[in-house]
Amino acid sequence: MSEITTLERRERPFDPMPKPTSPSEEGGGPRRPETGSPDKDNLLKRMRKVDPKQAERYRQRTGE
Amino acid sequence: MRLFGIETEYGITREDQEVVDPVVESMELVRAHLTDAFEKTWDYSGEDPHEDARGFRVSGLQQDKEEDEFVKLDGHRPFSFHEMKSDLVLPNGARFYNDHTHPEYSTPECRTLRDLIAHDRAGERILQRAATRRNRALRGPHVQLYKNNTDFHGHSYGCHDNYLLPRSIAFSSLTAGLLPFLVSRQLIAGAGKVGVEAQETGFRPGLFQLSQRADFMETELSVDTMHNRPILNTRDEPHADHTKYRRLHLIIGDANMCEYATALKVGTTRVVLELIARGAVPTLELDNPVTAVKEIARDPDLKAVVRRKAGGVLSGLDIQEAYWRAAQKTLSGQDEETDWILREWADTLRLLTGDRSRLVGRLDWVTKLWLLETFVREERLSWDDPWLASLDLEYHNIDPTRGLFLGLETEGKTTRITNEAEIEAAISAGPSDTRGGIRGLCIRRFPDQVKSIQWERVQFTGWLSPKVLDMNDLFDPDAVKALAQVLEAAASPADALKAWSQRKEQWQ
Repeated sequence: MSEITTLERRERPFDPMPKPTSPSEEGGGPRRPETGSPDKDNLLKRMRKVDPKQAERYRQRTGE
Repeated sequence: MRLFGIETEYGITREDQEVVDPVVESMELVRAHLTDAFEKTWDYSGEDPHEDARGFRVSGLQQDKEEDEFVKLDGHRPFSFHEMKSDLVLPNGARFYNDHTHPEYSTPECRTLRDLIAHDRAGERILQRAATRRNRALRGPHVQLYKNNTDFHGHSYGCHDNYLLPRSIAFSSLTAGLLPFLVSRQLIAGAGKVGVEAQETGFRPGLFQLSQRADFMETELSVDTMHNRPILNTRDEPHADHTKYRRLHLIIGDANMCEYATALKVGTTRVVLELIARGAVPTLELDNPVTAVKEIARDPDLKAVVRRKAGGVLSGLDIQEAYWRAAQKTLSGQDEETDWILREWADTLRLLTGDRSRLVGRLDWVTKLWLLETFVREERLSWDDPWLASLDLEYHNIDPTRGLFLGLETEGKTTRITNEAEIEAAISAGPSDTRGGIRGLCIRRFPDQVKSIQWERVQFTGWLSPKVLDMNDLFDPDAVKALAQVLEAAASPADALKAWSQRKEQWQ
């Protein structure tokens, strides 16, 4: 019926969250990315491509 | 007993059309997932949004009138109600359909946050793949999908988080224990929004809010979901044994792009529900929760305070910290997942008062604000420039070549909970320890013999009298795994049901 194949999901040992690859300043938690500034060559280029009128044209019906 | 799931209504548009028909577009998007003709299998008999958890049944919802008008408006279309809904159950146990003119993906029921995040992300991929197929047919990238909650013209659509609870918890306890928490949950789970709007009325730019949904919260409690939206929805539709269970159906939440924010949103809510069950929730009754939601949302400096009924004021951070302290005292050391939630919740609250830039890629509102501040500075824009609402919208685009969040993720600037292999696995199959996985297994093992299906049961064809797999009390993970083995080994649904019946008799 659907396009999705019937691969089985493998069971894995209980591991609620990924362990940090290296100790963070807080001593635990997931890997924290470096976020000093956006990559101006890529992300800002992507932002500049956004049509300034896009939200003005965007209309939806009320949902739940 | 832990079981939760997320329903997400996506925004949909056609960029090659001046006026978009959301009914057709949502239907066509769902159909684009299929390789064969659509077959009606979803069983709507278990759905009744008129039952109220406060102990009564409403004769009508405020949205019924609008729904009737839409039925009239859409009545001329050359397809039936079922064709319009195009309800699908996927091999991973999820539901994918056209709900209220929005393509909606409901994850299968999950027991762990990690599974839930993988399935939420799987939903994004499934919808984007459907959009790619649809766009191939349209010969251009015309259909775009947004995992957000507003059109910036006063039309909101939801992302609902759901939790299975024992019915023994009184609804009044949920109300008292949850309202202050939900009012302030946006600090960690808000998706951020440019501007202010109200139900089906205009848009005022210039202000950045923590939450997409805060503007649309109009009352504390209500069974309605499309109008007069409540902080705490009272719909009593457990999709399980009504005598034993409740389903908490929260409609206040935003759709999150950050995996970490989704994990904290559901994780902290699950923790607070456990506090309520143990009678250990802090007493923080607010004077006016509806006003408080908006006041907190409209102050990204997090300095806004709201009044307590008992006197005095609290900030959103004060409220969150009070809940965290109670949880830390009561639930610390309980299990690994709870300890992860407590640790990350504390870390997040601390960073919200300190170096907030370190929450970029973790919390959506912080990430979006950081992107917009950078753009405003680079382009020398004012905060009421309409370009910012467009950037806000594009933050939520699930096309990886366009979406701003997904661009950030590609650059490795977001905190991941899952990995690609887990997301692909979640596209293919449901959790191994919930009935959601069983639902998907039925679809994979016996696709041509499923006559009808819904959250609680699967009805198979092939007999004079229909055979039903009842899952309205199937929440023990060991029982789920035993049933999965039975379904895998059986040559037919009849064999599976017989073997399952015998297995249950042995247990009794």
